[in-house]
Amino acid sequence: MLIMLGEFEYLLVTAAAGLGDEAYGAAIREEIETTTGRKCSIGALYTTIERLENKGLLKTWMGDATPQRGGRAKRMVRVTPKGVQAAKDFYDAVMRVSRGASWVAGRSGSAS
Amino acid sequence: MSRPNWSLVDLAARLLERDEREAVLGDLVEARESAWEGLFGVLGLVVRRQALLWKSCRPWLAGFGVALPNSFLLMGASLSVSWSYQQLLCPNLLREASLTLGSGLMVLFYQAVLLTGWAWTGGFVVGAASRRTLWASTLLCYSPCLFCLSRFRVESLSRFCLLLFLLPAIWGVRRGLRSSRMKLGSALVLALVITALMIPAWSGGQGWGAPRLSLNWALSLPAWYLVATGRRPGAEPVRN
Repeated sequence: MLIMLGEFEYLLVTAAAGLGDEAYGAAIREEIETTTGRKCSIGALYTTIERLENKGLLKTWMGDATPQRGGRAKRMVRVTPKGVQAAKDFYDAVMRVSRGASWVAGRSGSAS
Repeated sequence: MSRPNWSLVDLAARLLERDEREAVLGDLVEARESAWEGLFGVLGLVVRRQALLWKSCRPWLAGFGVALPNSFLLMGASLSVSWSYQQLLCPNLLREASLTLGSGLMVLFYQAVLLTGWAWTGGFVVGAASRRTLWASTLLCYSPCLFCLSRFRVESLSRFCLLLFLLPAIWGVRRGLRSSRMKLGSALVLALVITALMIPAWSGGQGWGAPRLSLNWALSLPAWYLVATGRRPGAEPVRN
């Protein structure tokens, strides 16, 4: 069954996939804020992580506590194969739908 | 970062589950956010979590389907138990009700067992169905209690006799929080006992008028809900 991600879900899955073994709440949030230039609230981050985990697209577990976090544990995140497929489907859909758009390289159409 | 402000963040984070609280507070420290940013972040997460919970029908069922109406009816049942107890202590009242000491004791016994059963099963359903929205169910249970306590005008009885149901209800809530479903066999026995005890009350009207008796059938619904959602033998307990 095809799972269509939302925009923020795609950003989160992609950021987590890029961070690999270092993917956890604060790191994913920083990655999203740095790459998009938009503020990412903790509320949006953690509710989306839970939703994606319930869909089987992410797996999370509590990691080790570190001193720079005041001795508090991290919520580690890993993208599941189903999550990778869903992100790939989203990316392909965006690529396909963008083909005719004026802002795609090599086109000069009038999209305004 | 001022310490008092971070205490507010810690306080707000108590509304989150333990693991999530740990992760969120750690993220805030690591991101070097100000206490106010942290407070708004945590409160935003709490609001989102609650909003998501209320998208399900379970907290609505627990609060408006069980806690609110049952607390009204259980206060009436508590009053009946107190009244039956008072009749036993006063021979004149017993005679007026055409009861002997033995039959008066029987009435008190089955009313007390029914009250305990109703309150316990209602509490169990509320605890199991509204694990993370228990605050709302509690408010919906206590508001009719406060309303009735403030208007209680029976001189011979203490107003706190209205709250006899609270102890078994709290016991039921605690059990419901621990395991969201009862074993099917136990649930069935409980529901049958409660229903069987209601039959003499229905036919004889022992201390309860007909309209109250009709309404009291609603109090046995949580017991049958527990049967409907009962855990089959061999099935693993479910936590939600």
